[in-house]
Amino acid sequence: MPRRRDIKKILMIGSGPIVIGQACEFDYSGSQACKALREEGYFTILVNSNPATIMTDPGLANVTYIEPLSVDVVTKIIAKERPDAILPTLGGQTGLNLAFFLMKEGILKKYGVESIGASVSAISCAEDRELFKKAMQETGIDVPKSGIATGVEEGMKIGLGIGFPLILRPAYTLGGSGGSIAYNKEELEKFLSKGLETSPVHQILVEQSVLGWKEVEFEVMRDCVDNVIMITSMENVDPMGVHTGDSMVVAPAQTLTAEEYANFVNLSKKIIRRVGITGGGANIQFAQNPDNGHIVIIEVNPRLSRSSALASKATGFPIARVATKLAVGLTLPEVMNQITGKTTSFFEPTVDYCVFKICRFTFEKFPNAERVIKTSMKAVGEAMSIGRNFREALQKGIRSTEISRYGFGCDGKDAITDEMLKNPGADLVKEIKDRVRVPNDERIFYLRYAIKAGLSNDEIYELSRIDRWFVDNMRQLVETEDEIRKYRNNRTDEAIKLPLELLSKAKEDGFSDRQLAYLLNVKEDTVREHRKKNNTRAVYKLVDTCAGEFNAKQPYFYSTQESHEEGRPTKNKKVVILGGGPNRIGQGIEFDYCCCHAAYALKEEGIESIMINCNPETVSTDYDTSDRLYFEPLTIEDILNIIDLEKPMGVIVQFGGQTPINLAVSLRKAGVNILGTTADSIDIAEDRKRFKEMLHKLDLLQPDNGTAFTFEEAKEAAKKIGYPVLVRPSYVLGGRAMEIVYDESVLERFITEAAKVSGEHPILIDKFLEDAIEVDVDLIGDGQTFVIGGIMEHIEEAGIHSGDSAMVLPAYTLSPEILSKVREATYKMARELSVVGLMNVQYAVKDEKVYVLEVNPRASRTVPFVSKAIGVPLAKLATKAVLGKKLKDLGFTQEVIPEHVSVKESVFPFNRFPGVDVILGPEMKSTGEVMGMDKDFARAYIKSQIAAGQRLPKKGNVFVSVRDRDKRAVVFIAKKLHDLGFHLFASSGTAAAMEKNSIPVKVLPKVAEGRPNVLDLMKDGKIQLVINTPSGRIPRQDEVKIRSHVVLYNIPYTTTISGAQATVNGIEMLIKKELEVKSLQEYHKKLKGKNQK
Amino acid sequence: MKAILMLEDQKTFTGTALAGASGERIGEVMFNTAVVGYQEMLTDPANAGKILVFTYPLIGNYGIAPKFSESKKAWVQAAVIKEQTRIYSNWQATGSFDDFVKENKLLVLAGIDTRALAVHLRQKGQMLGIISTTSFDPKELSRKLENFRRKPAQSFVAQVSVEHIRPLGKPSARQKKVAVLDLGVTQSFIRQLEAAGAHVTLVPYNASTKDILGLKAHGLVISDGPEQDQNLRLVEQNVKPLVGKLPILGVSCGFQVLAECLGAKVFKMRLGHHGVNYPIHDPASYKGEITVQNHSFVVDADSLAKRKDTKITAYNLNDRTVEEIESRKLRVTGVQYSPVSPGLGEINPVILKFMKTLKRRN
Repeated sequence: MPRRRDIKKILMIGSGPIVIGQACEFDYSGSQACKALREEGYFTILVNSNPATIMTDPGLANVTYIEPLSVDVVTKIIAKERPDAILPTLGGQTGLNLAFFLMKEGILKKYGVESIGASVSAISCAEDRELFKKAMQETGIDVPKSGIATGVEEGMKIGLGIGFPLILRPAYTLGGSGGSIAYNKEELEKFLSKGLETSPVHQILVEQSVLGWKEVEFEVMRDCVDNVIMITSMENVDPMGVHTGDSMVVAPAQTLTAEEYANFVNLSKKIIRRVGITGGGANIQFAQNPDNGHIVIIEVNPRLSRSSALASKATGFPIARVATKLAVGLTLPEVMNQITGKTTSFFEPTVDYCVFKICRFTFEKFPNAERVIKTSMKAVGEAMSIGRNFREALQKGIRSTEISRYGFGCDGKDAITDEMLKNPGADLVKEIKDRVRVPNDERIFYLRYAIKAGLSNDEIYELSRIDRWFVDNMRQLVETEDEIRKYRNNRTDEAIKLPLELLSKAKEDGFSDRQLAYLLNVKEDTVREHRKKNNTRAVYKLVDTCAGEFNAKQPYFYSTQESHEEGRPTKNKKVVILGGGPNRIGQGIEFDYCCCHAAYALKEEGIESIMINCNPETVSTDYDTSDRLYFEPLTIEDILNIIDLEKPMGVIVQFGGQTPINLAVSLRKAGVNILGTTADSIDIAEDRKRFKEMLHKLDLLQPDNGTAFTFEEAKEAAKKIGYPVLVRPSYVLGGRAMEIVYDESVLERFITEAAKVSGEHPILIDKFLEDAIEVDVDLIGDGQTFVIGGIMEHIEEAGIHSGDSAMVLPAYTLSPEILSKVREATYKMARELSVVGLMNVQYAVKDEKVYVLEVNPRASRTVPFVSKAIGVPLAKLATKAVLGKKLKDLGFTQEVIPEHVSVKESVFPFNRFPGVDVILGPEMKSTGEVMGMDKDFARAYIKSQIAAGQRLPKKGNVFVSVRDRDKRAVVFIAKKLHDLGFHLFASSGTAAAMEKNSIPVKVLPKVAEGRPNVLDLMKDGKIQLVINTPSGRIPRQDEVKIRSHVVLYNIPYTTTISGAQATVNGIEMLIKKELEVKSLQEYHKKLKGKNQK
Repeated sequence: MKAILMLEDQKTFTGTALAGASGERIGEVMFNTAVVGYQEMLTDPANAGKILVFTYPLIGNYGIAPKFSESKKAWVQAAVIKEQTRIYSNWQATGSFDDFVKENKLLVLAGIDTRALAVHLRQKGQMLGIISTTSFDPKELSRKLENFRRKPAQSFVAQVSVEHIRPLGKPSARQKKVAVLDLGVTQSFIRQLEAAGAHVTLVPYNASTKDILGLKAHGLVISDGPEQDQNLRLVEQNVKPLVGKLPILGVSCGFQVLAECLGAKVFKMRLGHHGVNYPIHDPASYKGEITVQNHSFVVDADSLAKRKDTKITAYNLNDRTVEEIESRKLRVTGVQYSPVSPGLGEINPVILKFMKTLKRRN
C-alpha cells in the first residue's frame, strides 16, 4: 500500500548519550530512519541530546533539536513543531520510554500526535511484565515461572512450587543488586530474608532459573498487511545468565535442527503478531533447555535494538530503513532490497558464512568493580567478524576487539603459558575451572587454557554450559596451533618450514600472521612475505543477503581463505578510511562520526571511499556510507591485505581515533601513502622527546616533566619537578592508569601498578598544575592556512581527563589576552607540524601562563561537538584538505565565535559497577556525552545537566561536604543555595565554614558515628543534591559510601567546585525562567547571517 | 580422498571426498541456500539424481536423527559441501553426518569454495556435473559427461515411488480418505496430512485412472517428486480424466503434472528456486508469504491464462513465476512451493484448506 498521506510531519526521538546498553546502534538506526523518511517526502523533526551522532547533522532531518530528552523539553518541541506522528522505535529504550511518558501524560493526545512504528498498545504489551506474560500464555508460549513474595513464608511456598534452582530478584534495586540464586531450601530461606531486606518496597520476585540454557534470538519484521519475515537467528555462545549484550554471539544459530529452527521462526512470527506491531520490527529472545528442547520466552523488544543492528550488519538487510518505511504504511514487497537491487524487502536473508560478535569490556577502568559478567550489561562496545567457519570468525573477532590480542591465544600474550599448562598444578587447574565456570571478560582465553590443561569437551560444557560444538571448534584451533608449533624455528632469521597445506589450513582457521610469527619464532613481516610468495592470500567474499543467488549491486566484503576472489576493486581514484573499531571508553562514536564525514567528503570530491571497520553498531559500517565497506579487524595484516587488492591512492588515519594513528608508522613502513599530516609529524606529537624539542624551538611552555623506568628514577624526577605530579605510562589511551601523586609513598605504589601496564615503555612524570584551567582547541589546516575550529574551556579544573570534563564554547572566563596566547601557540604548532587535516591541543592555564599539555595530530573527541556549535562540518573540510583542497577555496578561513553558548557534558557508567567510587580523575571513565545549547552559559549548562540525566531540584535539601582546600569557595555556593530557598546539610568541617559565614546549616554525623546520617536521608529521598569533593587518592570511607548512594538513588551530584558553581547557577535559571528550545538550523542560520555581514 | 567436480562448461573444483563412497557420480548440479535441513534435503526424493550443493558452509552441526529423514534413504547422486563439522551437538541427535554419509554410501565432495560454485551456477545456469575420486583427467571427465547427456535419462520417479497401493493403517470413521499419488512424497508431508485428519493411501506413480477411482478416496494429492521425469507423461495421462471428479491437490512436481493436465506448459528455469526464503504474493493484494521452494521448472503463466476456470492465486515476487493456482469449479489446487509445516506439530494452510474442501463436498 502506498505510504500514508494523512501524516506529513514526523518527530523522531534519538537515544541520547552513549551509555552501557545504548551505543552507536541508535545512530545507525536513526540515520537510516531520517534518510528513509525524507526519501518518502516527509518533513522530519529530530530531537537528540547527543552531538556526536550523524543523525543530528543538520542535513539529515529537516529540523534538528540538540536538546535534553525530557518530557518537558519534547513537549515544547511538539508544541512548536506540531508533528502529526512520532516515531519512537529508533531511539532505544530511551526513545521508547519517552514516547510512553508523553502518551501517559496525555501530551500526544493533546497535540494530536500518533505513535507510529509501535503503537502504544504494542509498547505496553512488550514492556508491562503482566500483560506480556498473559499475551505469551495466550499464544501458547511458556514464560519462566515466577511469583512475587512479600514475606519469607510466601516466598518459600512460591519457590518450592516452581522448583530449584531459583532466581531471587528484590524489587526496585538498581542494576540487579541483591539478586541471588538458590539451589536448595536452606539457601532459598536465607536469600529470601536477605533479599526482602534490600528491597525498599519489601518485595521479591521468585523466578524459575533458566541459567545455563541455550539463549537464542530472532529478529522479525511485520508490515501493515501482516506480511512477516524473519531476518536472522542468533545463538549466544555464552548461555543464559550472561546479558545478551555481554555475550559472544553467532549468527545464524549453529546448533538447532531444521525442525527447531522452523519452530522458533513460527513462534517469533506469532509473537510479533500478538504483540501487535503493524509496521516495524522486533527482537525476540528465547531460552531453550539443551537437554530436552523446552522453550521459554525471555523478552520482546518492539523496537530497533542492539541485536537488530547486529542482525542487520550480519545479513546485509537494512532493518532500520525498512522498519521506518513500514512505519509509514508501506508494505515489505514495496520496499526494494538495495543490496541486491533486484529483489524486494519481502524475503528472508540467508547467509553463507558465520558471523561472530564479541564484546569489549573496560574493567581495567574500574579496578574496584567485580570482574564478572552477569545479567546486567557491562560491555561498552562490540566487534563483529565474518568467516567461512566459526573458528575463523572467532579468531578475527578476538583481534577485532583491539585488546592487543591477535586471535584465540598463542600470540605471545597468554597470561598462562604453555609451559605452565603442560603439567598444571591443582591450584592452576582450580583457577582455570573457576574462570571457565563464572562468566568474565577473559573467559574466552580461559577456555583455551582449559583445553590445554586437558579438560574434555564434556567437562568444559558442564562448567560453562557453553555448547560442546563451540568448545570443540576451539579445541580444533588448539590442535592446529600445536601442529604449527612443530615447525618452530630455533632462530628468528631461519626460513619458514611450515608446509603450505598447513599454512593454508591455519589461515582457513583464521590464524593471524602475528600468531604464526609467534608460533614459528619468526617476524610478522616474514610470515607475510612468505605467504605472498606462496600465493596464500586472503580473498574477499560478499555479504549479499542471498548466499550468492542474486548478483548483488551494493554488497560489502569480508576476507577469508578460499579459492575464488570476489572482491571488486575498480580502477577509479580511491581512498581508504580506517575506522575506530569497537567502542570503548576513550574512543567512541565521535570518531565514527568523523569517518562517516570523510566518506561523504570523498563522495563529493568524486573519489571512491573504502571503509575498513568492524563495529556493527555504527553508521560507518552501513552498506551505503562508503563505496565499498570491508568488515574487517583493524590490524596491520588485515589492512594491508585490502590495500594489496584495492591499491588506493592513500589512507586516511586521522579520523578513527587512536587505533589508526597507532598503525600509521607500520603502514608507512609498508609503503602505504598516509594522506594528510605526515607520519613524521604524527611521530613528533607522539614522541615525548621530539615534542619537547619542538615546544622549546617554538618558545612554548610545558609543565616540568621527566621520564623514568624504575622507582628510583621516578623518585628522583618527581623530586626535581616538585609534587604534586601527574604520572602515567606512555602510549596508552584515555588516560589509562594515569594518576595525580602527592607524595613518594603513593608514587611507589603507582610505579608497581603502572609498570605492568606499560611494559617496555617508560613512565611519564609531569608537574601537575593544581587549580589550573584546562583548554581544548580543535584546529583544521591545509598545510598553509590554519583555522581554529573552537576553543573550549573546561568547567572542571585541571586533573580531570578532558574526555570526562564538561566544556564550554566559547570560553567563558578566560581573558582576551589568554585567548590570544592560546591562539598564537596553536597556530605556531600547526605551522610547525604542517598540519593537513585536523589537530587537537590541550592547554592548562595557570597564573596567566599557558602550558601545552598535549597535541594530537588527528580528529579529537570534540570535533562533532565543535562542528555543531559553529555550524561548520570540520571533519568533512579536513578530508577535503587531506585530498589537497585549500581552505580558501573551501570557504573556511576564519574562526567562528558563536554568540550562543554550547556546553558538552559527559555521561558515566558508574551505575553498572556497584561499589565503585564515583570520582573523576585523570583516567577517563565516561562512555558518552551530551550537548546543551542556549543563549547564555547558565541555560546551556543546565540543559547539558538535564540531558546527562541529572534530575536537578528546584527546592529541597542539599548535602555539602568538601575537602579543606575547597571550603572557602563552597561558602559562596552555599550562600546562593540558601538564598534560592534550599536547606543545607553538611559534614562537621564543611558546616563550620558555613556557620562562620552565618549560613544556616544542619550538621550530620559521620556515617559510623550516628544516625540518621546522610545515607539514611538519601535512602529516604530527603536529599536532592550532593556537593562532595574528594579528599585524595584514597578516599575516606564515608565519601565512597555517599557517592555510591548518589548513584544508587540517582541523586544529582557534583564532585568539583567549578561544577557545583555552574550547577547552582543553572538551578537559579531553572527556578527563575523556563527553558526554551531552538533548533540547530536556527542557530546555524544566525551564524551564517553574522558571517556574511 | 581427493575428489573433483567438473561442470559441463569444464569448470572444476577440487576437494576431498568424505568417507561415504568413492567413484563417479553424474547429475544436474544445483544449490540450495537454506542454512539448516541437510538431512531433510538429502533424503527428499524430489532431489533424486541431483548433485546437491549446500551454500551454507557448515554441515553436520546438529547431527542426524532417523525422524528427520523424508524417506528411507538419501536419493541425491552426490552432495557438495564446504565443511563437515567435527562434532555435532543437539539433544535429538542420534548420530553424526558422517554416520549418515556412510550408511547411505553417499559421495560427498567437501572442502571446496561452495560460494564460488553457487555464483558460477548463478551466472551460467544449472548444468550437469561429474564428481570423481578416480579420474582427474578433464578430457575423460568431459567425455563421461557427454555420454551421460546422450544416454536416455533414467527415471527416478519409478525408483522413489511406492510399489503397490499401500494404505497407511486402517481408516477410522472420522478420517477423510486421501489418496496420495506418490511421485516421491516426503514423510513430513504425510505427517501433516494425517495430523489434518486424513487417512492416507499411497498410490504408485503408474496407477491407472481406474485404480485411483477404485480407492473411493475423498481427495487426491499428486505429490512432489523428481521433475522432468520420463514417467511423468504417464502420470499425466492417468490423472487427466480425474480432474473435476474429486478434489485434487498438486504439490511441486505434482503441481506441474496437474497444470499439464489443465493444458498448461511447463518450462525449465535457468537457475530454479532452491531455498527456504522465497516470497510469494497474491496478485490482488500486498499480502504474501515466505515459502520453501525446491523446483527447477515452472508452469508457464500465459499457457494457463487460457483456462478461464482456473486462477493464478500466487506468484513468486522476485521473478513472477507461478506458485499457486486454484480452480473452484474443478476443485483443484496446485502449489509450486513446498507446503511445509510452519512449526512443530502445525499444518500448512494449503493442506488444511484442501482437507476442508473434502469435508464440504462429502
